[in-house]
Amino acid sequence: MSIEGVICDEEETLLWQALLGGNESAFESMIQRCYDLMFQYGLKFSKERELVKDSIQDVFLEIWEKRQALNKNIPPKAYLLASLRRKLHRLQQRNKNVLVADPTRFYTEFQIEFSAEYRLIEQEEDRINASQITGMLNKLPARQQEAVYLRFFQDLDRYAIAEIMNIHPQSVSNLLQTAFKFLKSNWLYWIAIGFGLSALNF
Amino acid sequence: MDHYYHYTVEELFLDEDFRNWVLRPTREDHHKWESWLADNTEKLEIVRQAREMVLHIHPKEMALPLSEKKIAISKILEGRREVPPSGFGRKPLLFPAYLRWVAAACIVLLASWYFLLPPDGHRVDYEGLVSEAPVPLVERVNKSNFPLEVVLEDGSHITLSPKSKISFPNKFNADKREVYLSGEAFFDISKDTSRPFFVYAHEVVTKVLGTSFLIRSFGNEQEVSVRVKSGRVAVFARQDTQTPRDQSKELTGTIIDPNQQIVVVRASVKMTKTLIPIPEIIVEPRHVNAFNFDDVPVQKVFETLEKAYSVEILVDSSVRFECPLSANLADLSLYEKLDLICKAVGARYEIIDGRIIIEGKGCK
Repeated sequence: MSIEGVICDEEETLLWQALLGGNESAFESMIQRCYDLMFQYGLKFSKERELVKDSIQDVFLEIWEKRQALNKNIPPKAYLLASLRRKLHRLQQRNKNVLVADPTRFYTEFQIEFSAEYRLIEQEEDRINASQITGMLNKLPARQQEAVYLRFFQDLDRYAIAEIMNIHPQSVSNLLQTAFKFLKSNWLYWIAIGFGLSALNF
Repeated sequence: MDHYYHYTVEELFLDEDFRNWVLRPTREDHHKWESWLADNTEKLEIVRQAREMVLHIHPKEMALPLSEKKIAISKILEGRREVPPSGFGRKPLLFPAYLRWVAAACIVLLASWYFLLPPDGHRVDYEGLVSEAPVPLVERVNKSNFPLEVVLEDGSHITLSPKSKISFPNKFNADKREVYLSGEAFFDISKDTSRPFFVYAHEVVTKVLGTSFLIRSFGNEQEVSVRVKSGRVAVFARQDTQTPRDQSKELTGTIIDPNQQIVVVRASVKMTKTLIPIPEIIVEPRHVNAFNFDDVPVQKVFETLEKAYSVEILVDSSVRFECPLSANLADLSLYEKLDLICKAVGARYEIIDGRIIIEGKGCK
């Protein structure tokens, strides 16, 4: 997949290049920097913390091992998340073959729940807005949710998302567009109802 | 900017520029949005609402405590040192690294019923213990090939290994917390000094106030071991199900400290206290380069190691190691560090009873 044209954090790229060159403190800084993101992302595929942590560990150890063979110019964050995603998918496949597998171990697809911090929202109207938006976000199909999550909550660009989800950048745009349309049409529906109700009050 | 005029709240909510302005505003962003709003005051309310949404709607994420993250990262760094440069030796995921590494805690391996049982053949086994428990118990069995997470009523976490089972009450007693294990489990016990935590695993009883540790009690292994990284646990064996329970608060047993382990050779029922294979740094030194020694007397180097690894390093009081040492020992394990130091000053070390004994003529 083409990953050219990705504008990525310069500091991250420098770290990446240093660690591929065998710099141990760059390796550690990279882990420090990306651990939370990888952990949270991994938990969207399996709820088992230890398993996610082990998978992250494997991703980093593999990178350290293969560092001489890895591309210096790939966006590191996307590479890390893509590797983690592949690893968890592979484990999920393997888990399927186990006779007495625990079905709750892996989600068959990306699982996320959006929520609002209602106690921080003062106005009633905003609370209603928030519950509508979270309700709609939670209704999106898994792949759209994943794209929305990576795009708007992890600030990754569509090239990075394409790399992570192993799809074409255009498909990322399509997923985001569809999600957007879904939210918009539902929003108009809610507004219509809202107006209808307030009309009844008068 | 003008295309924003027809944006609804949720369109703004999923607009990159808008989110950036709300979450990571720059001066230009402020200028851009403020001046646009000054020209379009009727949009103020929509923008205010959208701001609230951006600020308060998030994906639900699980907390990753700093301590947990730190441990996980040090495991990666530790694992890297184990990876030979050739690229061989990758560990399979089915044996999660933490199981081996779990120096983070302590491992209790179960004294088997084979040799601890009294001559008349009364075994202390899991089933027996569970059936005699004074309160109703819940049992969790891990039949999968992966660790299973169990959370207890007091907030303690248990990671149950494959082919293992654990029984515990839905609600613990007011004065103690008791669980029963068969197999292997990693325990992360929440601290509660008023209610000690007991793990009954066949004949071995482990008592803790709050720490994390791993217990193994499979019947087909030759050795039983208990490891501690932080905190302190007491381990004791017993011969029948009744005796210890009643006086369990007074039980003493063998105490093991961080980086120590108890190894029970099952054939001889002998408990030996020793150090774990790869002792971990327990107290992170205050200085970043604490292990980069520059002209430091060897005696002081030993003291630094003692503190960092929470182990006792004993030198015969008649001998002094006063000569200076210059070496960067930062990326080495404790034993590698000791090897280098001892080589430099013509000394040897031995591990006896969980302590490091330095032998040599000293140096000036």
